[in-house]
Amino acid sequence: MGPRQRMVARHEDWSALRASETARMLDACTRCGACAEACPMLPYAPAAAGAAAPDLVRGVLDALTGGPSDPAALAWIAACTRTGSCNAACPHGVNPMLMLRLAKWRANETGALAKRDASETMSRVKVFARLGFTEEEQKQWL
Amino acid sequence: MAVTENLFWYGCNMTRHGEIIRLSQRLLEAVGVGAAPVGGPGACCGSPKESTPRIAEGMADRTMDKFSASGANRVITWCPSCHMNLDDFMGQSKAQDFDSRHLCEALWERREALAPLLTHPVKTRFLVDRHVGFHNQVPVNDIIPGLLSMIPGAEHVDHPLRGASYMCFGLANVPGALPDHLRATLDAVRDSGADTLVTIFHSCHREMVGLERDHGVRVLNWVHLLAEGMGWDYADDYKTWRNAEDKLAAIGPDRVAEAGEVAVRKLVLPELERPRPL
Repeated sequence: MGPRQRMVARHEDWSALRASETARMLDACTRCGACAEACPMLPYAPAAAGAAAPDLVRGVLDALTGGPSDPAALAWIAACTRTGSCNAACPHGVNPMLMLRLAKWRANETGALAKRDASETMSRVKVFARLGFTEEEQKQWL
Repeated sequence: MAVTENLFWYGCNMTRHGEIIRLSQRLLEAVGVGAAPVGGPGACCGSPKESTPRIAEGMADRTMDKFSASGANRVITWCPSCHMNLDDFMGQSKAQDFDSRHLCEALWERREALAPLLTHPVKTRFLVDRHVGFHNQVPVNDIIPGLLSMIPGAEHVDHPLRGASYMCFGLANVPGALPDHLRATLDAVRDSGADTLVTIFHSCHREMVGLERDHGVRVLNWVHLLAEGMGWDYADDYKTWRNAEDKLAAIGPDRVAEAGEVAVRKLVLPELERPRPL
């Protein structure tokens, strides 16, 4: 475990980062499907059952670029829990784990995938803090 | 947020586990690392809102500005979502004047100082709930058993099981995945002869504390076990509340009143009363 270096910002903002990564992934990915074949979450995506791994990848790349994708690929994207087995399996350094995550963001934006309802998340976090933190801790820690 | 050399960035959902934050700060201090806890909605990595990336980015940017303004040289993380967002997004688009370590790395770096402080024997055979997803960024699956094995009397029971995702939160959102992981974990506990199940992350702890009541295996977080080795007392309120028949009574009327009964009933009780995966 070596020392972790301080990072230098390489992108103007997240949009620029996403655009740069999307272009890189589209260029690097050969649609071989090794990432899908390695994924332990596919059994939890019934709509993807029987789909060929290269077709799943094509559907993910379509979602990544704002296309409608297809039910099998969207089910795979939705079932991704960032296990990372895909990254170990990818022979081309694509970073499929990030590819699926960015595809999910894009699919959330286009409406191809429903957004997770997080409307009460922060309110709940605050109530738990009031239950579990002292007043001084709330002042110092939040 | 106090002026400090280091920040202990506990994330947002850790407000459920105040004792883990206190114990973590105390452990760091014991090995010579002063760190001020910071988290909650005002120091969010954006992960809870990432279905709307523009909002997530705004939250993350504010957090980066807050960290930079603190003057801290190092941010010590707890949450793997925060840690990965810091590496993959926040640090890629905002200049930073600090480096980062996960809590387990910060303690592992000081293990020579920590070992002589772990003087209280804890006779246990423990199995650690390990997931695949975060280990490539921070080798938590090796470091945490290593730290806990420094406690006199504590025996790590190795097992090949590795859950999918990077913590149980991800599995909880995919139908069928969390119950399967819990069943496999209980099988691993039985097969290995462990008497204690140790969780690494908060979302795993939230999902697994119910196993103590329903399946008879003691469930601790790794920080709890280190605290026991130090001879420190603590109370795991979340486990008590989740496993109580009457959740409000377990929390206690005074605390409910202080936090706001309407809010507790609306936001806390549904979580504590949610169906158990097994």
